[in-house]
Amino acid sequence: MTSIESDTEVATRLEFEESQRSEGWRLLRAALRMQRRNLLLGALVGILWASFKVAVPQMTKYAINDGIEKNGPLLQWALIIGGLGVLTGVLSGMRRYIAFRESRWAEMKFRERLFAHVLNLNIGYHDKAQTGQLMSRASSDLMQIQGFIVMIPITLSNVIQIIAVTTILFITDPILAIVALIPLPFVNFAARRFSHRIHPASIAVQAEQAQLANVVEESVSGVRVVKGFGAEQVQFEKLEKEADDILRESMKAARIRSSFMPAIDVLPALGLVAVLGVGGHRVLNGDLSIGDLVAFNVYLTLLIWPLRNIGMIVALGQRAAAALVRINEVMTTKSEIVEVAQPKQLPMSSSETLGAVKFDKVVFGYNLDFPVLRNFNVEINGGESIAIVGATGSGKSTIARLLLRFYDTQSGHVFIDGIDVRKLKLSDLRQQIGLVFEDTVLFNDSVRNNISFAKPNSNIQEIERAAKLSGAHDFILQLPHGYDTVIGERGFSLSGGQRQRIAIARAIVANPRVLVLDDATSAVDPSKEGEIRDAMKTVMNGRTTIVIAHRPGTIALADRVILLDDGKVAAIGTHDDLVVSNARYREVLANMSTVNAAEKAAN
Amino acid sequence: MWAQGGVTDEDKLSRAQARTVIGRVFKMAAPFRKTMYTAFICVCVTTVCALAGPLLVRRGIDLGIRGKNPTSLNISVVVYLAVALVAYIFGRAQFLYLNRTGESFLRVLRLAVFRQMQRQSMAFYDRNKAGVLVARMTADIESMAELVQFGLLQFLAAGMLVVFALVLLAALSWQLTIVALLVMPILIAASVKFQRDSNKAYLAVRERVGANLSALQEGITTVRVIQAYAQEEETIRKFTKSNTDLFKSHENSVRVSTWYFALIEFGGVFASALIIGIGGWLVHRGDVTLGTVVAFTLLLSSLFDPVQQLSQLYNTVQSAGAALSKLFQILDAKPEVDEHPGAIALPTAGELVVHEIDFTYFGSDKPALQHVSISVGVGEKLALVGPTGAGKSTLAKLMARLYDPQVGSVTYGGIDLTMATMTSLRERIVVVPQEGFLFNGTIRDNLRIARSTATDEEIDAAIGAIGATEHFATLPDGLETEVRERGSRLSAGERQLVALARAALVDPAVLVLDEATSNLDPGTEAEVEHALERLMAGRTVIVVAHRLSTVQRADHIAVIADAHVAEYGTHAELIAKGGRYSALAAAWQKSQVTH
Repeated sequence: MTSIESDTEVATRLEFEESQRSEGWRLLRAALRMQRRNLLLGALVGILWASFKVAVPQMTKYAINDGIEKNGPLLQWALIIGGLGVLTGVLSGMRRYIAFRESRWAEMKFRERLFAHVLNLNIGYHDKAQTGQLMSRASSDLMQIQGFIVMIPITLSNVIQIIAVTTILFITDPILAIVALIPLPFVNFAARRFSHRIHPASIAVQAEQAQLANVVEESVSGVRVVKGFGAEQVQFEKLEKEADDILRESMKAARIRSSFMPAIDVLPALGLVAVLGVGGHRVLNGDLSIGDLVAFNVYLTLLIWPLRNIGMIVALGQRAAAALVRINEVMTTKSEIVEVAQPKQLPMSSSETLGAVKFDKVVFGYNLDFPVLRNFNVEINGGESIAIVGATGSGKSTIARLLLRFYDTQSGHVFIDGIDVRKLKLSDLRQQIGLVFEDTVLFNDSVRNNISFAKPNSNIQEIERAAKLSGAHDFILQLPHGYDTVIGERGFSLSGGQRQRIAIARAIVANPRVLVLDDATSAVDPSKEGEIRDAMKTVMNGRTTIVIAHRPGTIALADRVILLDDGKVAAIGTHDDLVVSNARYREVLANMSTVNAAEKAAN
Repeated sequence: MWAQGGVTDEDKLSRAQARTVIGRVFKMAAPFRKTMYTAFICVCVTTVCALAGPLLVRRGIDLGIRGKNPTSLNISVVVYLAVALVAYIFGRAQFLYLNRTGESFLRVLRLAVFRQMQRQSMAFYDRNKAGVLVARMTADIESMAELVQFGLLQFLAAGMLVVFALVLLAALSWQLTIVALLVMPILIAASVKFQRDSNKAYLAVRERVGANLSALQEGITTVRVIQAYAQEEETIRKFTKSNTDLFKSHENSVRVSTWYFALIEFGGVFASALIIGIGGWLVHRGDVTLGTVVAFTLLLSSLFDPVQQLSQLYNTVQSAGAALSKLFQILDAKPEVDEHPGAIALPTAGELVVHEIDFTYFGSDKPALQHVSISVGVGEKLALVGPTGAGKSTLAKLMARLYDPQVGSVTYGGIDLTMATMTSLRERIVVVPQEGFLFNGTIRDNLRIARSTATDEEIDAAIGAIGATEHFATLPDGLETEVRERGSRLSAGERQLVALARAALVDPAVLVLDEATSNLDPGTEAEVEHALERLMAGRTVIVVAHRLSTVQRADHIAVIADAHVAEYGTHAELIAKGGRYSALAAAWQKSQVTH
């Protein structure tokens, strides 16, 4: 942290984190409640396993004392030990299975809830949120939690095992027990310290790896530029620096490992030495049987793993808590777009054509201090087609987003067929508006499913009709698997124009009463554009269409044109009228494409 | 980790391949051979120490306790302490040396693979998907990092421990060794089966993790479309399915390991039962000592644990082998476009002549260009037009030697481009792609991509040359503005301006332009146009044109259709001819008239 915080700030922050953490734990407890029975079963199995495991050295001791030293019945002891082997084996398998299955189950449920929650959050949230951040909530953060849940039953049985073993050791020989146990708490301590210190070190390594990945990624994607200018050496030097950084950070991590791991391995051996030395003399003095001595040795080895694990689980728990805090932050974020308790119904039929849109004194800005629309008023009749023209940043695309209720206005109202969009169920509203986005987003799915996205159960006739109208049918048939071709799969790629035509088909299938085309044909081959425009006339017939025009060409689709300037409607009328009467309109058009203007003059 | 190492059948290395891979690894590791050997010695010492413990316990019991000899007992204790100390010291050293060896190796590997990737021609980048190449350099090498950090040590130590423990056990008592070995075949068979099943299970998990992550990412990045079409429920339903699939594969992988670990645990206890039962009987007969039996029970874990570790590590080692083998393939790929040994510098000016070339892309059976000849004089502007995929971009790329033609030649000032030095080639001919590609760093850094030695003044001059000084001055940090990932902080137009300024910095004689198909934001579009005009002035220009205005400004137009030059001439000539070009020009005009 480079920022300097005052003590009170630190206190507030810690308090906040603390409240978040307890909130996070509550989330975890609530999530685990569903699995309570299985987790308890896991704990029970773990306890049983621990008690049998502890019994093995005890039996070994009897076998040595009675069986070997006193020439007693050997077979009986061997059989008992073998039987314990069967029990511990079965129980350890069960413990493992339950622990892992339950933790994965919890992880799955968490991810499901997280995904559903994020998907329903308002677009304003998504504008600010980073995909990578949300991804790591649902992947690496959940992994931390899964790693912790796995340890719950295991830790329980470990605790039981430690208690049982220590008790037995003290009953057998308290003095020897003390001597033998002295080094062992250090195992736990070292394991805890180790987990604490290695975590930031491995995060640092990962960060360096990510930086190297960036250099590789840009060198590969920008290979034309690199090759075109012979910048190989420049990129190589960048990479060399990152590779050196990785080496340095990895060695830091290695040093931490080297200072703890061997210690964790060697410390228990000190207990064994103590048992041999002190215990050996006690046997010589007749205070201890030789079987007890051997059992002591075996018991000590039984303590090593549980102590290490408990040391680690403290750190694991802290990491899981931090992950929970982050996840909780997302889960407690509420969507800013709220549906009313008793939504109204959109009229299904009317004497006039449906799809009337009205913006009434709308004020809106993505940032409260910078309104994009200020007092924006417009009435669009049902079935009318209208083009919105304006300079870059004038708020053309914002109009579509407000209509869809991606955002709510700061003041003023948006109506569709006379009903305030805020009074409608979101899904009812959105089903009636087909938006073709400025940047075409298609899914990694078949062409068919992409087109029928808005109506997943539409039949092939509907899909093909939409594709024909958007001028996509012909090229789709030429794709390797026609309508079943999966978009984004290796082997072929669609051009920008082709993607846009599929997106238009998707909007057509939705059969909305309002169609919004946001620069929808910008990447379409100019020779094809006229063709699509003709087809679009059919689609637009009887349907309200809002064309957000980034280029003069698309204006041709509309009956009326709105000139948007300074967040308000500056002029409204037909293209031909505006060209004649409005200087600002001519200016905006000219700016849209100086090239086109020049051509027109030449013709 | 979400998914552990797993190897598909096709990735599995044959014995011969494995030998080659290992051989090459050692060759690459040669510079730090000493570190490697030191590490190996350290591993040997710690292994011996690990085994010495139980032996000393045996000695203590037999000679000290049962032999009623306190001094002997004390000697055992002191030696044991010394051994523990040695184990600790060498344990630390082995970590450091092994990690240093491994990480240094990975560093060398990263540098070598990257350098080799950079030496490759464009054709290589066409053949290999960008994502795959990035994965080779990142995920594949990182997967080995884990092996380097723990695996290698465990693998070595486990292997050594099995061998040493067996030797030791046999020396202690051949009878008890036979008893211990009775359990081994079951253990080994179980381990082999586990290794196979778990490999399959891990692969399934890995695949589903990938699918799940894609579904997750797609959901988040397409949330606007999903909400716009009110398809949240349907999307969540689909995601839940992929999520449940992932859970099932996890569950399956746990099931595979469950019985194995249960068996291992049982095997360990069962073996000690055997040792105590049979060992006790042998003690009664006086064949072995009690200390030996105790030492055996302690040493058993030294025999069983490594076998188990080896079987778990086997997958990781195999997948590392597979990754290495793929990386070596990249190292072995010979660059197609490379500098000729006797290369000479191109003259400062000259005619660019394409003579009878044929060119086919790798993996394609259709030639992209056939018998194409064309020439561009000094300062001449040539526009290439034609339908998508007809070969106009390919021709432009060949004229800048991004590829070499299979037949025919491209010459500049009479010198074949394949005979030119790379440096002079890149100083004379510069390609400006459709979209301005930016790298992480400042705008200045991005210009230096074109010439790393350029001074600040030269960069300012280049920006001035395309008339963009004012524009960039309006940015908060001017030319020091960090463009962020892929230049996301700049508009498309601004990125294009940077790309043009790069070309201006090189000041080439020939410009190869690929005109953008889609429009830029109207604001900067005019500036880009203006910059282009200034840049083109006085240079030879080959432009892949998508707009009538661009074509009209060219001296000559070549219509490329069906892999050859279909028409060639001036705008007026071709319009008069009434062929393909005049049809195309008409279509363009129609689309740009607004009523």
